[in-house]
Amino acid sequence: MKMADQNVVLRRNRPGTKAENFYRWCDEAYEEMDSTLVVQQYIQQTIRLDHNNIDTILNAPETQDEGVWKYEHLRQFCMELNGLAVRLQGECQPSTCTQMTATEQWIFLCAAHKTPKECPAIDYTRHTLDGAACLLNSNKYFPSRVSIKESSVAKLGSVCRRVYRIFSHAYFHHRQIFDEFESETTLCRRFTVFVTKYNLMSRDNLIVPILEDESAGQGESEA
Amino acid sequence: MDEASSQNQLGGSANPAGVANRQNLEEPSQRIQYSIPGILHFIQHEWARFEMERSQWELERAELQAKIAFLNGERKGQENLKNDLVRRIKMLEYALKQERAKYHKLKYGTDLVQGDMNPPVEEGGEEGRVDPDAILSTNTNVSWKQSRHLLRQYLQEIGYTDTIIDLRSNRVRSLLGIDGGGNEENHNSTPAMNGSDTTKRQPDANRWNVTKKTPSCLEAQIQDAERAVIDNFEFLRSEGEDAEGMEMDDDDDEEEPEEEEDVHRLKSPKVPKVALDVDDVDGESVDLDPDFRFLPDVEDTSPGVLGFGPGSRRVYGPGGEEDALEGLGELAQLTVTNEADATYDQISSTKENFRKTWTAKYTLRSHFDGVRALCFHPQEPTLITASEDATLKLWNLQKTVPAKKSASLDVEPVYTFRGHLGSVLCLAMSGDGDKCYSGGIDGTIRIWNIPSSNIDPYDSYDPCVVGGSLSGHTDAVWGLTYHGQRQHLLSCAADSTVRLWSTDARSPLLYTYAVEKDGIPTSVDFVYESSNQFVCSFNTANCVIFDLETGKPVTRLDTETEQGSSSISRQINRVVSHPTLPLTITGHEDRHIRFWDNNSGRLVQSMVAHLDSVTSLAVDPNGLYLLSGSHDCSIRLWQLDSKQCVQEITAHRKKFDESIFDVAFHPSKPFIASAGADALAKVFV
Repeated sequence: MKMADQNVVLRRNRPGTKAENFYRWCDEAYEEMDSTLVVQQYIQQTIRLDHNNIDTILNAPETQDEGVWKYEHLRQFCMELNGLAVRLQGECQPSTCTQMTATEQWIFLCAAHKTPKECPAIDYTRHTLDGAACLLNSNKYFPSRVSIKESSVAKLGSVCRRVYRIFSHAYFHHRQIFDEFESETTLCRRFTVFVTKYNLMSRDNLIVPILEDESAGQGESEA
Repeated sequence: MDEASSQNQLGGSANPAGVANRQNLEEPSQRIQYSIPGILHFIQHEWARFEMERSQWELERAELQAKIAFLNGERKGQENLKNDLVRRIKMLEYALKQERAKYHKLKYGTDLVQGDMNPPVEEGGEEGRVDPDAILSTNTNVSWKQSRHLLRQYLQEIGYTDTIIDLRSNRVRSLLGIDGGGNEENHNSTPAMNGSDTTKRQPDANRWNVTKKTPSCLEAQIQDAERAVIDNFEFLRSEGEDAEGMEMDDDDDEEEPEEEEDVHRLKSPKVPKVALDVDDVDGESVDLDPDFRFLPDVEDTSPGVLGFGPGSRRVYGPGGEEDALEGLGELAQLTVTNEADATYDQISSTKENFRKTWTAKYTLRSHFDGVRALCFHPQEPTLITASEDATLKLWNLQKTVPAKKSASLDVEPVYTFRGHLGSVLCLAMSGDGDKCYSGGIDGTIRIWNIPSSNIDPYDSYDPCVVGGSLSGHTDAVWGLTYHGQRQHLLSCAADSTVRLWSTDARSPLLYTYAVEKDGIPTSVDFVYESSNQFVCSFNTANCVIFDLETGKPVTRLDTETEQGSSSISRQINRVVSHPTLPLTITGHEDRHIRFWDNNSGRLVQSMVAHLDSVTSLAVDPNGLYLLSGSHDCSIRLWQLDSKQCVQEITAHRKKFDESIFDVAFHPSKPFIASAGADALAKVFV
């Protein structure tokens, strides 16, 4: 909402803003952003412009530190993945999906416990997201949002790996939800491109055939 | 050189002695065993000894010199005294002659031939006296009074009070052993001394003209500059007290204390002793009359000006306050900016008003995006936060993460509530703390059954936590408030409606109030003081109290006072109702907080509260304090009766142009919390 009487653009969603008017402000150039949360602002801004434009979203500005870039993107992914989790919450019952699986090959154990546990899928999803939130926000590993410690960069890879399993479980077991969600956000595709680009996961683990099939809805359920 | 030679001599003399000893001992060996190290050691030893002796001699010399000076001073004083007495005698003789002449004239009608009738020539007084001395004329009494009066005037010019003059005269009287008719001529010297350039010795010289007061003021005058710093500390230490003692820092003059004490003992019954806890002060200060504000003026660096009398008292008043404020280092650090102080209504960041200062204790990190709302559990030290990342999280403040940095403890969430599709914008807790309600951008209000705060965060999913949702609003829900007694929930949304819900699951929606005439509602609150009303604020700066049953406006708070500013800037971001008084408090986009009377609708007070728009308000459960949060990254605590800010805390960083979204008090424990756009929530104790 622009202030009519001044030239200052205040990028705020004030109380009373209608849902459609949220974030309805003009974009700010990356160079002009002046806060500690610049990267998050920028990423969210580009996503809002067009969530399908993965390359633009994932391309870091020149002066941006790569570690921080990866970190902020991962935060954004975890945040948006919540939407998928909410949708799954209704359908993914512990009685139907007793284990976290994607394909028949692997059973994923939930690492959020002291000893890895075979959580039901919905628990796995929740715990993984909660655990990712704790890790990415922990003062120990990520004390600052403008610089990332070298030792913590390795953590990003493990978070990615676990988070990806949510995608794969949804793809293989709750296809409809997955497709709906994907058409709204293109999240899985963006995530796949992201981890490939920054080598955060090995290719073998990328079992969701998201890049090959351009058409949504059709695809083998078996990788 | 002397030392060297003496050393050599002594060394030489010692050595033969040593040699002799050794020779005696070691008869057979004629050779003396000298070794270089031994010799060196011996010489060093002797040299050290001489050095010690030298320093002792220096000390002694200094002492003796001091003594000499002291005695010199005494001698001079005695001389002056003698001169004064001689003068007095001469004056008395003259007066006697005058009287005789008068008597003779009266008796015989002729003039008596006498000797020299000239008034005694003024002599003595090394500095030279001021001319209008009290010269005894024929009418001694009248002239005496005149001169005394004149002298008083002069002294008052330089600031002595009458009491001091009296004291001095008493002092002189006791010194001279006379009773009455003080020797006021002695006072003559004081103006002269004050005006003159005095060195340290001169005060000693003139001291014995009058009482010790004279030298004391001179001392202070002279040593003013060096005292200025000490005085500052003095003052800070004894703020409320009279800092009379300051001028008495005679640390340079060692002989004075002893002298003064002698003098004091003679006149001690006269003056009440004022006990002051000042530093290295001698007994002088104690004798001062409490009225005597004899202070070297701290602000004035010119040594000639002395802050006598009430003037100096005034000077110290405001200065003291400033020092007091600056002395509160802790709070000074908490204050963010001072340039806007002028716009504030008396921000006094003193500690005494509130029982303590709030400090950040817990940092709640887990959200991915800004925390839009938070609220505390009614009894337990737990709170729930709602965020733009579409989750709500339950936090238990007793479960903190062991952190390396000890300044504030990190807390991890106990539970994450997932259900909203999109940002969660507002939050309300039920009266017993079992349920909470959240409204989001998706237009739904969701009910959550709050799990125990001691559960394992990684427990299995319990679908019972999701308590359902209240649908009805068609646009983002911005305001939620819960009424404990009625068990009703009130919500307002961007679809310009305010809805009343009951917690009864069967037909939750009780009423829909269409309020679009007034704009889009931004915030609602129940009016606690009356039983059946709620107040709603709008983005058009309107604020209306409605009746719950009928939905009709009861009172319209008079917000039309400002014209000319755009409607957005007048938007009210938050409205809260005072728990006990008929008072409504609104936080505005134009940085103001305004207080309204519920009954009349009139503005009680408006104050500029922040540097940027006020986003959130919270009233403490007792109704005494107000917390306000703003996009200027600060939260401020206000005392409600005086409307003064008692504390300001900087918290949270900006994302886009937003900083702090919500603030809250704990209903029963001493916690306050703030929710920020940087995805953090902070709890202060």
